[in-house]
Amino acid sequence: MAETIKTSVQRYNPDNDDAPYLQDFEVEYEVGMTVLDALLYVQDKFDSSLAFRWECRGGQCGSCAVKVNGTARIACRTKVDPEESLVLEPLDKMPIIKDLVVDMAQTEYRIRRIRPYVARDKKPERPEIIHAEEIEKVREIRKCIECAACLSNCPIVHETWEYPGPMIIRQIARLELDPRDVEDRVGMAIDESVYSCTTCKMCTDICPKKIDVPALAVELLRAKAVEAGYPLAEGQQGFIDQINATGRAVPEKDAPLLKALETEEFTVENSRGRVGFFTGCLIDYRMQNTGKALIEVLNRNGVDVIVPKEQWCCASPAFRTGDLHTAHAAVERVTEIFENAMDKHGFDTVVVACAGCGKTLREDHRPVITEKRGEPPKFKVHDLAEYMLDVIGKENLVLPKGEIKLKITYHEPCHLGRGQGVVDQPVELLKMIPGVEYIEDPYRNRCCGAGGGVRAGKRELSQKIATTKREYIEATGASMITTECPFCTIQISDILEGSEIETRYIPDLLAESYRKGDK
Amino acid sequence: MEELPYRTILCDVLVVGAGGAGCRAAIEATKYNLDVIMLSKELLGKAHTAMAEGGYNVSLGNVDPDDNPETHFKDTIVGGNYLNDQALAEILVRDASERVFDLEEMGAVFDRTPEGKIAQRPFGKQSWRRTAYASDRTGSEIMVTLVEAVRKSAVRVYDEIFATKLLLHDGRIAGVTAIDLKYGDYMIFRAKAVVMATGGAGRVYTVTSNAQLDVGDGYAMAYEAGCDLIDMEMVQFHPTGMVKPESARGRLVTEAVRGEGGILLNSEGERFMHRYYPGVMELAGRDQVARSIMTEVREGRGSPDGGVYLSISHLPRSIIEFRLESMIEQFEDAGVDIRDEPMQVSPTCHHFMGGIKIDEEAGTNIPGLFAAGECTGGVHGGNRLGGNALADTQVFGALSGESAAKFAKEHEMTGLPKEKAMKEFLKLEAMLKREKGISPADARKELTDLMWTKVQIFRKEEEMAFAVKELRRIENEVVPKIKVDVAEKRFNPGWHQAIEFGHMVTTARMVAEAALIRKGSRGAHYRVDADPEDDGYYNIVVRKGANGDMELTKQELIITKITPP
Repeated sequence: MAETIKTSVQRYNPDNDDAPYLQDFEVEYEVGMTVLDALLYVQDKFDSSLAFRWECRGGQCGSCAVKVNGTARIACRTKVDPEESLVLEPLDKMPIIKDLVVDMAQTEYRIRRIRPYVARDKKPERPEIIHAEEIEKVREIRKCIECAACLSNCPIVHETWEYPGPMIIRQIARLELDPRDVEDRVGMAIDESVYSCTTCKMCTDICPKKIDVPALAVELLRAKAVEAGYPLAEGQQGFIDQINATGRAVPEKDAPLLKALETEEFTVENSRGRVGFFTGCLIDYRMQNTGKALIEVLNRNGVDVIVPKEQWCCASPAFRTGDLHTAHAAVERVTEIFENAMDKHGFDTVVVACAGCGKTLREDHRPVITEKRGEPPKFKVHDLAEYMLDVIGKENLVLPKGEIKLKITYHEPCHLGRGQGVVDQPVELLKMIPGVEYIEDPYRNRCCGAGGGVRAGKRELSQKIATTKREYIEATGASMITTECPFCTIQISDILEGSEIETRYIPDLLAESYRKGDK
Repeated sequence: MEELPYRTILCDVLVVGAGGAGCRAAIEATKYNLDVIMLSKELLGKAHTAMAEGGYNVSLGNVDPDDNPETHFKDTIVGGNYLNDQALAEILVRDASERVFDLEEMGAVFDRTPEGKIAQRPFGKQSWRRTAYASDRTGSEIMVTLVEAVRKSAVRVYDEIFATKLLLHDGRIAGVTAIDLKYGDYMIFRAKAVVMATGGAGRVYTVTSNAQLDVGDGYAMAYEAGCDLIDMEMVQFHPTGMVKPESARGRLVTEAVRGEGGILLNSEGERFMHRYYPGVMELAGRDQVARSIMTEVREGRGSPDGGVYLSISHLPRSIIEFRLESMIEQFEDAGVDIRDEPMQVSPTCHHFMGGIKIDEEAGTNIPGLFAAGECTGGVHGGNRLGGNALADTQVFGALSGESAAKFAKEHEMTGLPKEKAMKEFLKLEAMLKREKGISPADARKELTDLMWTKVQIFRKEEEMAFAVKELRRIENEVVPKIKVDVAEKRFNPGWHQAIEFGHMVTTARMVAEAALIRKGSRGAHYRVDADPEDDGYYNIVVRKGANGDMELTKQELIITKITPP
């Protein structure tokens, strides 16, 4: 018998049904099968009234976006996993017409609000001379097929249509980059809440054309806004001023980690490796114990840790909000500090325990340095969990022995999962701790609302996103949520205040288990 | 007569279809201070035009300065095997440049030459590098641009509206009946002038590059209304469609792959085109390349999955990545990296050269009814050149919009043929109410397999005669028994398919009946048993006769400049 996939499809005909419900079908699996094939199978074999949209079946028209196991994607380019059952639901945010067909009218109104066409103040010459360089950047973000999957997944759009969502903010950037368009698209972007995006990259992740909307549209428009003299929000500017003045995004409170540490070198006998530790601002100034935990965990696994005393902010807040002047100055400084430390201490790898810093060092610093001198920074960057599992290797890890008997779930920081491709490693680490019952949160990769300057600049919106996140966390039934980013940790512990659920940083939890195991 | 509830909406110019031609017609018509409605069977922007890949033919001479409209005309006529309506082909080559500049003015982003002009690439059977492009997503670029322009215009877009029948009043066009796909309501759109821009019908074949909506609605509606249709037997099989996985079978592999230097190889690694068309090799006409590929497959030199190999891996990766980005993506999904490995390809039903017969104003033989784009016939003759279809949509889209607007300016609204509309609604309603009958999915499979096996690339008298007989039977016995599983009107694909099925059968019949009476080979119509006496220099016109039978007549070619050899 052919292999079958259990396919649950949301059905709803508002003319007849009180509420949507899931209907199960057994779909015969074929190699290479897409979600659209599965839907067509159901329609042809079981129920021709099953409503969903499709046209081209080749990722060109953007008709067939649906939620596949919780995440919106276009059906025709999403492969069916024979090992997993399928749950297919209509896109979020848009009212249902029937089954998987949603009403796009609101989206269409939202698009029209931005005057989504090249506005000209005079008729062009024929032929019009346009050089390839002038349109190079337009070309990339022009591939959008308006499937609207990103709108369904966007945590900001989920809270408010004040922000037009990735698909539409992209169109504003496309017009800003077009040399022929005469409208003030930067002013328009401000009016359209361009500072609402947390740069969570959910849109890029599911985009059938892989358009990097946060970088190519949102951050680009923000940089142009800064250049044009639009002020940042007070909270955002505070970070920037702080970085420029002190090299740290936040003011000093307790004794900073880098000052408290008595040495730069934490070495072990017969070490298997040596890394530099980029602390980032928050571990240095706010979470000193986490920093010490990271050093301890690595030492216990036979790795020398070098902590250069002089460090500087990666300038993520500046990159995210568009202050490229501050950002680029920081890039040079960070690169210089760590390249010098490499030579002095003999390491080639830098470990970070902050998702935001890691993403910024990898995605934002490298191109800046490469453009400046033709080659990227000399050191490799790894997240702690990634370093432990992929570089040290699971088989070589010293297992923590102290039991921590808890139901624990995990929040995947956007800039770790989608920003650096580190998805499974932190969970692997959690599962190594004896006693831990790991609970998978189907929404673990949803944004907490802190990033992109939103917590600093738009606190109310940030809280709304966090409140939605809290609902996801609470639904898991876990008594602890862990993560791998100080910024997420602060945001999540804030929103969980008053609840029973504890928020922990993975290195802290690991160190705790190691220490318990010593006794 | 029983009455069903319906809504009536008025406008000056009604455009049926929202692809390249429909959008362009609607944009043009609004320039005349008229109320214009555009009906879109799909959501705005999702039309098949978005799937066109390679480009737009226009003799700008930006790369090869010696190119000019005359040469473009000659290539189009020779490529079309001299069957083209030369008056229409003259319009195509004359207006292609202004229309491409229109697109740029609206915001299109075509790839550039070093001087900042529109870049042009070589395509099959063309004397010069003539095909303007935006990587290999030119159709998408044009569709996106037109959507931007429609959103700027005052065109009223009614999306997900399925027009089912043309309404006539005293011999003049009066409007259309339609259903609202979303909610199932019956609707009448009344207009002073109507433009048909309903696209093609690749979906009547099992293997096709076409989108789901390309089922021949326009051909069938025009036929039923009494329009003349021309060259319906001329169906283009694009030589390179995807072979696997099964679900991607037939998906287009753009001619730009060969234009950029891709080569075709058989299972023995031989570049077989040198045995068929040594002068032009892979850039022979689409009909010629398709037949060459099928001959290789039939003679046992095909790939294991029944195609041949198309390889581009000898080109620099940067060129492939810049100019063929969609192809990389499309084959990545099939697990093939085209930068390193060959693609497996075989022919796929791609384009209908034939269609509604139009004059030099894009008018049909029904007053007030105009047509543009793939639903029309005559421009491309027996074989369409790659890149001429996108140009066709823009040139004739604009022309039909202008003509319809002028007609609407000069005429009052007609009366309402209410009985005819109600008869149509009752027919549609009956499909829902029928207790016993045949499901659209089964019926469709029977039809498309019949066309794919009997009225295909290599045609034979007995096979076509069989197809014609079967199609008449299907029309008489299956179509009236089509039954919808669930009697719901609200977004019910089963119902939509049932309605479409009637259109598919009518369209398929026109193809098969016309093919049967063309005894010689010409253009895309290739007979293995060709009558050598039949040089094929005529057009076949199909219309619905006074007694309701399909009438086919041979007509003399329309020649303005080039006489067939």
